[in-house]
Amino acid sequence: MPQTPVQMHRIGKKKNRFRGAGFFLKTGMLIFFLGAPFLFPSFKLVDLVMNIIIFSVLVASFDILLGYTGILSFAHGMFFGIGAYCVALLMGPYGGPSYVHLALGLLLAVVTASALAVVISFLSLRVKAIFFAMVTLAIAELAIVLATKLSAFTGGEDGISLNMPGIFAVSHRVGDFLGTQIGGRVFTYYLILFGSLILFSLMIRFTHSPLGRVLQGIRDNTQRAEALGYKTFIFQVVSILFGCVVAAVAGGFYAMWVGYVNPESCLGVMTIMLDVLLMVIIGGMGTLYGAVVGAGLLKTAQTFLPDLQHLAKTVFPNAAFIHQFLERWLLLFGVLFILVVILFPKGIIGSMRGYMARRT
Amino acid sequence: MKDQNERGIEVTGAGAALKRKSGAVSFAAAVALFILPLLWIPGKIYLTLTIAGLAMGMLVFLIASGLSIIFGLMDVLNFAHGALFAWGAYTGFSVFKLMRAWVGADSVLKNVGVFSMAAAAALLAVSVLGMLLERGLIRRVYGSHLFQILITFGGMVVLVELIRVFWGPNDEVIVQPLTFRGSWDMHGVIVERYRVLCIMIGVVVYTMIRIVLKKTKLGMIVRAGVENREMVQAMGHNIFRIFTGVFAAGAALAALGGVAMSVFDRQVYPDMGGTYLLFAFIVVIIGGLGSITGSLLGALIVGLAYNYVAYLVPWAAAAVNVLIMIIILLIRPTGLFPAGR
Amino acid sequence: MPEAILKAQEIHTYIGQHHILQGVSFEARPDAVTVLVGRNGAGKSTILKTIMGLLPPSQGSITFRAREIQRKKPYEIARLGIGFVPEDMGIFSNLTVEENMKVAMLREDRETLQRLETITDLLPDLRKFWTAAAGNLSGGQKQMLAIARAIVNKTALLLIDEPSKGLAPIIVEALISTINRIKEHSVVLLVEQNFHMAGAVGDDYYIMDDGLVVRGGDMEELAGDEAVKSRYLGISSAVERSE
Repeated sequence: MPQTPVQMHRIGKKKNRFRGAGFFLKTGMLIFFLGAPFLFPSFKLVDLVMNIIIFSVLVASFDILLGYTGILSFAHGMFFGIGAYCVALLMGPYGGPSYVHLALGLLLAVVTASALAVVISFLSLRVKAIFFAMVTLAIAELAIVLATKLSAFTGGEDGISLNMPGIFAVSHRVGDFLGTQIGGRVFTYYLILFGSLILFSLMIRFTHSPLGRVLQGIRDNTQRAEALGYKTFIFQVVSILFGCVVAAVAGGFYAMWVGYVNPESCLGVMTIMLDVLLMVIIGGMGTLYGAVVGAGLLKTAQTFLPDLQHLAKTVFPNAAFIHQFLERWLLLFGVLFILVVILFPKGIIGSMRGYMARRT
Repeated sequence: MKDQNERGIEVTGAGAALKRKSGAVSFAAAVALFILPLLWIPGKIYLTLTIAGLAMGMLVFLIASGLSIIFGLMDVLNFAHGALFAWGAYTGFSVFKLMRAWVGADSVLKNVGVFSMAAAAALLAVSVLGMLLERGLIRRVYGSHLFQILITFGGMVVLVELIRVFWGPNDEVIVQPLTFRGSWDMHGVIVERYRVLCIMIGVVVYTMIRIVLKKTKLGMIVRAGVENREMVQAMGHNIFRIFTGVFAAGAALAALGGVAMSVFDRQVYPDMGGTYLLFAFIVVIIGGLGSITGSLLGALIVGLAYNYVAYLVPWAAAAVNVLIMIIILLIRPTGLFPAGR
Repeated sequence: MPEAILKAQEIHTYIGQHHILQGVSFEARPDAVTVLVGRNGAGKSTILKTIMGLLPPSQGSITFRAREIQRKKPYEIARLGIGFVPEDMGIFSNLTVEENMKVAMLREDRETLQRLETITDLLPDLRKFWTAAAGNLSGGQKQMLAIARAIVNKTALLLIDEPSKGLAPIIVEALISTINRIKEHSVVLLVEQNFHMAGAVGDDYYIMDDGLVVRGGDMEELAGDEAVKSRYLGISSAVERSE
């Protein structure tokens, strides 16, 4: 039976799945993440890798909205925070450290995020992109205000602390293996890694599914998609729902790992949202894997920034202005962000893909 | 009503009837906003709150009007607008610090003088800043809303951090000049002097903007450009220079708002732009992008709603405006006065 | 033969990824009305927009009075003396007729004001609705306003895109006589699908098809050439007689 060019292209792609640079890089990354607790004896580095993993999931979920559905939502950080708070509340003041509460917390995160995501998606369909961006920013700020003001409920500015249950508890110790202390921390690491891998695979499957393809068609040319008979509206709702729920679960993971949530670190626009934007732009919009690259680069830079500042002080002891400049790391990130948007809008993965496409 | 004067002749037909109807609905809603709170708030306090609300509204109008015109004409959403507002406030703060003596002096002339100087300095500095911003960043991203949002968001972060670098990260106190302090007691209704000044400033600015738009050739070109940018270019006008000018003007308005607000609040802090930017967004959504009258009415609604609710249910004050915005978005997404007036 | 006032050579223009103009070349000579005819989608509007600078050409050159203009900005081109009446007329609906004219007038000197007088004499409806919002004018009146705006300055070349579109036949007649008056003062480059109009005002013609100029010549000879008309313009004599 004669095949269409598209079918032949897909079959070809499938055949080459296990060859090529992409596959090796992905496998390499996976091995790296699996072995991290043993590769790095210091907790600081394991913490960095865990953050990279969690933020990769968050940024990838943001990419589903931005790169694949074409929607810029400033409320994404809010969903992360909601997930974190749900888990924290159920493991803390409104429950306790138990497996059941952990599961309930994650479930609550999913449910709350779904409900809010539906509201947000209706808004997005009603108004133009610009308005939507403004509205989501307003809602995100409102969430912070509410979290701070309703302190009886949310712990206010001081936030909530939580502990992991059973074998995941920080105090739990099993012994040593390959020079690393095996205990609650390591188990938590693998639990979150496992969860993140599932989520990430789901996202990838989503974008390669027929649903995902329709979405890209909608993103590229909404009118044509509608003319072709697709109820663009439903697709967009599903996509937003998916992205926001994943973000919330990522937030839950964050709460599980860090053990502490508060408005600034979990809901803050300048903290979470700016980071997400930077990571997705640096990594590359619409690539999903770009999220890993972006998260990796940025989190590493953030972790080692104090060392960089120290280095600058020793190399240029008298340049007070440089010290000031470096001290304000937010300023650095802002400038970096602008530069990347202007010079490098496709991001690293995006540019690489473009380069490879031109080569063939 | 305003609609007729601006159109010149009677608008006829079904479309116009619908417009008049929704004009009537908006009018009714505005009246409701004014009257309803009386159910819960005693009369004298109500009047004080109303003045406070109108004053706050006028200040929000200053920052929102620039945003609205910039979007209406240039189709650019400027997330850095709040940062320009903050820069205006801080420039004013520097002037106040420099001329400390005049601020504290017991002389109407000196007080008004230093305030005017602060305002002038802010206007000047921020219009230059606005021009730099437009030429350096915004010009690169005409046509793509996504990149505009991203780049101006970045610009906002940088500008706010630069405030921290130049002026320090702490909140600073602004001393209200003597003339502006205090209030009048009119039969038990407390009316703060400075609030009345703010209302006056707002009215003057609104009138000036309207005059420029309606009576000057530049205003005509801007209004034409809001409708059809390409055609204005094809008629021989350098729309890019006009863009820069309009952007600078919008920035200047935000700066004026910043100075006025800093004296109102008696403080400046680096993130002050953020809160008021949000108000400006809400105003622009309620009033309609590109409409000055819409911005004014939207701003007054926001100011009044905030003050009434702040008195009745303090923690809900911030939320109520977001709520209004969402309602408007669901019922009438283009705002009360869609693009034009 | 007098030097052409406008020369387009091998113009290629893309809109997005679509290669709309694939090497368009033609000339407009002075003291004549040149008409570009052709079916929908042939690229006629695109070439006008390219001349006006609203769409940058990827290749080729456009010369106006021996000056190359293909890299210039629209407002520079307008100031050189080229007037433009787009397909959608480009009327500013929320401005009055007076304000529309004011925006159009680059200088308010005596010459321009005198031209304004002449134009409003020629088109009395404009004077009648002087302070009315331009959006309330009828289709024909809007078209007249659009043309008035384009010629109130010293226009050497007037570009008009499908002026008769959507207008009643009697208005089209008025349009024809207006253009015939204008051609005494300015060179006109007209894009039209309505062959009756094209034939009534045109001196030279060029047929465009699929982004290329396929034929050119004297309008009179085209009017009689049934074969060419039916092939490129889809006009049969039966249809034409009923117009």
